[in-house]
Amino acid sequence: MIVLDPNGEKVNLMALNVGPTHPATHHCVRLLAALDGETIVAGVHEIGFMHRGFEKMVERGTWQQVIPYTDRLNYCSAMMNNIAFCRAVENMYGIEIPERTKVLRVIVNELSRINDHFICVAAAFQDLGGTTPFMYAFNPREEIMLIWEKLTGARLTNSFARIGGLYRDSYNGFEEDVLAACKSVEKALKDLHACLDRNRIFLDRTVGVGKISAERAISYGWTGPCLRATGVESDLRKDEPYYDYETYDWEVVVGTQGDANDRLQVRLAEIEESVKIVRQALKRLAPGPVDIVDPRIRVPAHKLAYQDMEALIGRFKSVYEGIRVPEGEYYCASECANGELGFTIVSDGSGHPYRIKVRSPSFAHVSAFNELVEGLTLADSMATLPGLNMIAGELDR
Amino acid sequence: MESVIDILESKFGAKRDEKAKWDACVVVPKEYLHNAVEFLKNDPSMQFDMLLDLAGIDYLTYPNHEGPRFAVSYAFKCVKKPGSRVRLKVLVSEADLKVPTITDLYASANWLEREVYDQYGIVFEGHPDLRRILNHVEFVGHPLRKDYPAQKRQWLSTTDFLIPELEKRLEDKGYRIIQRSKEIMPVEEEYLEGSIRE
Repeated sequence: MIVLDPNGEKVNLMALNVGPTHPATHHCVRLLAALDGETIVAGVHEIGFMHRGFEKMVERGTWQQVIPYTDRLNYCSAMMNNIAFCRAVENMYGIEIPERTKVLRVIVNELSRINDHFICVAAAFQDLGGTTPFMYAFNPREEIMLIWEKLTGARLTNSFARIGGLYRDSYNGFEEDVLAACKSVEKALKDLHACLDRNRIFLDRTVGVGKISAERAISYGWTGPCLRATGVESDLRKDEPYYDYETYDWEVVVGTQGDANDRLQVRLAEIEESVKIVRQALKRLAPGPVDIVDPRIRVPAHKLAYQDMEALIGRFKSVYEGIRVPEGEYYCASECANGELGFTIVSDGSGHPYRIKVRSPSFAHVSAFNELVEGLTLADSMATLPGLNMIAGELDR
Repeated sequence: MESVIDILESKFGAKRDEKAKWDACVVVPKEYLHNAVEFLKNDPSMQFDMLLDLAGIDYLTYPNHEGPRFAVSYAFKCVKKPGSRVRLKVLVSEADLKVPTITDLYASANWLEREVYDQYGIVFEGHPDLRRILNHVEFVGHPLRKDYPAQKRQWLSTTDFLIPELEKRLEDKGYRIIQRSKEIMPVEEEYLEGSIRE
């Protein structure tokens, strides 16, 4: 298309479709860019290619049946979503989960965060043409995945948390596995920093690219590592602590520039902090029950169902009718790998959720994408996207 | 949080939401919504600088529900003051599906309002670009309404063109379009040829 630019000069722009299935978009997002040469003058982007109707589907099942759906939000750190949802419902009940469950949830949360951040950084490298760091990041990730397999029986969509507890207690040797994983995470971090920190090509591609001011980021509703990269110290684990996060010794990581490089560096530094939390949490892991004892909320253990009639009734009622969450409306947010994952829950007191709205961090991040890339070259736009860690599962729901 | 609710109650005729038992939520009359949000954002004692979420709610099948059918719940937080959050709720009746937009106050409102429009058909007056976001451009109806059957399927055949939106974006940035893009809107028949619908 031929246009007059703001200075009154005639320019011939080309409209170019990037995506929906561009290799660097990882998932499905489409950017229609008006290009002047190689520079993006204006862009509009479209999402919704992976819209599966999460919010409609969960209204059909019981409250426990929501949990497998939450796995499919941010599938790079599936268990964090389970825990965030269960925490919201537990808050509505006003119940306190056992100490061991709290610590186990912290460990699972932080290992998931490590996983998620590793994928983000590895993919960013991959998009810029670096395959080695990709492998450095994926080795420790694989170790964590093996822990997931032993712990939950699944690799990706684990569905581990339950309302009022966990699917089951950890296995024998869990602590040793986690410690070993922590070690290899630290080693991988060293390798990654060696690849990244003074890599001229990488720095040229990412420093100052896709910059956003703190004010603008807040207006766009950015949270998590992307907001912290702009220098805003905001982390729900410190601001509104849950699961005793405030008692662990760790720091909130902030960046300075808010560019693509900062977003990746903040993630790498957060991995370090997460390892710290995991190590401390392992020391606190004392034996004890993982489920609360209340058959109206958490189903009684399977073996009890064969001996105890009340337990049998409890299992039957909670599977067929679903647990009855107190009537009311509530917004509850947890700090997930990408930022604030919130659930607006409307309960009518029956066994089914009346309405669950997910506040997904990616939705806010991606909404600013065209503003970020306007003025950049096309190649730089693809260096900006992975730093946002767009996960289509939670973006499109 | 009590002070925020009290101020909203006295200034904008808001009422505490009885349904919200675990967090602070007020129901604001529709005509005061924009003023209330502006106050929440700009007043030095409030500074709710982040709009987190918009959630549409359809009360059609809610037991013993009285009042308008729809509601939109706005979740705000203040980044500078950790832990301060508030929710506003506006009630929207089926006869008058209009809510004033707050896109001029928060950048995040743009997509969030589009989503509520897409899923519930609630129109945000003054929104710069109100069109579907998660569902397809050809989609008919509003899927999260309680009377939309979850199993219902629709035939969607074409891609979202987006060129008019791109031209608008260029014009917003000060460009003037002399000659439009040579790309043309696809003809519907071309897409449907040889499709399983036949």
